[in-house]
Amino acid sequence: MARILVVDDSLVIRNLLVEYLSDQGHQVDTAIDGQEGIEKALDGDYDAILCDLHMPRKNGYQVFTEVIAHRPQSRFIMTDSLPDELARMAQEAGAYGCLTKPFDLDEVTRTLEKILAVTKSI
Amino acid sequence: MNLRGWIDRWKLRTKFVLPISFILVCSILVVSAYLIERQEEGFHLGLETNGETMVRILAMQAESGVLFEDRQELEELLEKFSVFEDIRCAMIYNREGELLSQLGEWDDNSTVRLREINLSNDPEDASSRDFYVEDSAGAVFIEFNYPVMTRVEKLDRENLGITGGIDPSLTRTFVREHLGDIKLVLSLENVNKSIAEARLTAIILTLLVVAVTIVFIAFIVRFVTKPVKMLVDVTDQVARGDLSQRVHLKQHDEIGQLANTFNKMIGSLQQSRNEIEDYNRTLEEKIIQRTLELEDAQAQLIQSEKMSAIGQLAAGVAHELNNPLGGILGYAQFALEKMKKKSPGEFGDKEVNAFIRYLTDIETQARRCKAIVQNLLRFSRSRRETEFDDVNVNATIEDTVTFVEHQLHMSQIELKLETDADLPVIQGNGGQLQQVFTNLIINAMHASAPGTCITIKSRYSPALGEFGGAVELQFIDRGSGIEPENIKKIFEPFFTTKEVGKGTGLGLSVSYGIIKDHGGEIKVDSIIGQGTTFTLILPVQKPADASDTSKEKLGTQPDAQV
Ligand SMILES: Nc1ncnc2c1ncn2[C@@H]1O[C@H](COP(=O)(O)OP(=O)(O)OP(=O)(O)O)[C@@H](O)[C@H]1O
Ligand SMILES: [Mg+2]
Repeated sequence: MARILVVDDSLVIRNLLVEYLSDQGHQVDTAIDGQEGIEKALDGDYDAILCDLHMPRKNGYQVFTEVIAHRPQSRFIMTDSLPDELARMAQEAGAYGCLTKPFDLDEVTRTLEKILAVTKSI
Repeated sequence: MNLRGWIDRWKLRTKFVLPISFILVCSILVVSAYLIERQEEGFHLGLETNGETMVRILAMQAESGVLFEDRQELEELLEKFSVFEDIRCAMIYNREGELLSQLGEWDDNSTVRLREINLSNDPEDASSRDFYVEDSAGAVFIEFNYPVMTRVEKLDRENLGITGGIDPSLTRTFVREHLGDIKLVLSLENVNKSIAEARLTAIILTLLVVAVTIVFIAFIVRFVTKPVKMLVDVTDQVARGDLSQRVHLKQHDEIGQLANTFNKMIGSLQQSRNEIEDYNRTLEEKIIQRTLELEDAQAQLIQSEKMSAIGQLAAGVAHELNNPLGGILGYAQFALEKMKKKSPGEFGDKEVNAFIRYLTDIETQARRCKAIVQNLLRFSRSRRETEFDDVNVNATIEDTVTFVEHQLHMSQIELKLETDADLPVIQGNGGQLQQVFTNLIINAMHASAPGTCITIKSRYSPALGEFGGAVELQFIDRGSGIEPENIKKIFEPFFTTKEVGKGTGLGLSVSYGIIKDHGGEIKVDSIIGQGTTFTLILPVQKPADASDTSKEKLGTQPDAQV
């Protein structure tokens, strides 16, 4: 099982992901905005980071670039309401995927599995 | 009052008639006075001459009577003269001064001599002098004195004896000898009577002539001034605005010319007034048309500003909607997944509780979505409707906040609502007010740094507004503030300090229009570096004079869909 960090400013989404991913047997941490997300991501050793792109105190792209700068092996799945400029930039910079809200839980699982498979294979 | 001013006030007719008559009367009076004077002299002279003649004749005829002192004869002589009415008295004296005969009573002592008349008589001869005399009663007479003379043949006695028989022409000499005197007094009564008559006639004639002349002058003057008066009357009417009046004069003199010119003048005046009136009428039409066009343009402006606001909001709304939708979708999938794994009877309490939690979340999030969608619809639908309705200002602010909440959250700006719960309902257009509030909050947000706070206050001011007071709203930020030189410009359309694409510069100008439509006011206070406060005053009742333009004219147009 994996350690996952959920960074999202929406309480509903955080609760949902915690509930769902825990149910799948993962260990889930949360951060409520970009700044907290960066701190936690750099602090702990996460297998995957689910990060919203539009957040106060540093957006998802900033979180991604700052964390990657310190921990290049970090794997990010970005989430976004509208696939916009930030999502494109994050993907180009090496994010593993981008989920558009409202996303299917299957999609989350599938993307996570891909990442974890890569992690394991290393 | 000075004389000039007084005369200036006279009517034209008076100005003509009065001086002309005055001069006329004066000259007639002078002339007739002179003529009367001359006539009087003539009468006197006539009487004097008559008297002189009479006294001479009397003296001649009385010669023998006086010589022989024949009183009988003298009596008869005087009797003959009594036919002359003018004779007051006649007296014949002998050489010794003894009265021989008398006609009429006369008392020398009771009279006074006034002046002497110089007729042909010898002034040396005291017995032949004539006087005007006045008696004690004041009556005036003329007194004539004349000597009675005789011619005596004087014989030279010494030569008589010696030279008898010689040529008598050599020895005979005639001597005039004074026998006596005659006094004749003539009364001036008749003469005075004639003079009085003549004077009366002259006066009557003068008056008659004066009267006739004045009437004649008045008539002529009237003839001259009548057209002038007519001109004045018409001018008066024209001055009061009746340009249809004309002066109708047949004469061709200066006044006739004046009337013609005047008529021409009024004619062109009337023509230009008609033109001006026509122009005014078309101007009014043009203004109405332009106003309609302007109102239309303004409505379009409001509309396009709203579109831009919606565009700005779109991202926020998408987040706003997609998070709850994500929750709904996720929980539904999660629950389904779980349910599929077991048959219904196998669920324990723990699982059922989880399902209940999921479903509750789903319901909550679905309601949130519904609220957001309704709010968005409310905002967009009222673009052209300017119908006024009851508006709960606090609720409208809260609705607005749901739009911008996400953006504020993203910018880490806290929004504090300090609303007065007892706010009265106002008359207004909820959608339009929401547009205003949205713009004010977004403006404040753009100006604010992360971590600062925007405060919205509402309170009721009974003293403001005409009836029922007004609601006062304040949007307070701790942002950058507005440059003093920009304060005046921020309500102008297209004034923006924001980068291209971020602001159109329409927000505040449209807000201003909307608030004016509500009969309200929008004010700004700003200090650079400290923040800005926008204050809105919204009367509870819309005052009657607030612009009500769009209501009828735009309300009838079909609603365009956003
Ligand atoms: N709270 C505020 N603090 C500082 N500046 C402000 C504030 N509100 C308005 N302004 C200034 O006034 C200008 C005009 O505002 P306005 O709302 O009319 O247009 P905009 O916000 O630039 O564009 P739009 O609202 O059309 O998107 C702004 O560009 C900004 O410079
Ligand atoms: Mg604006």
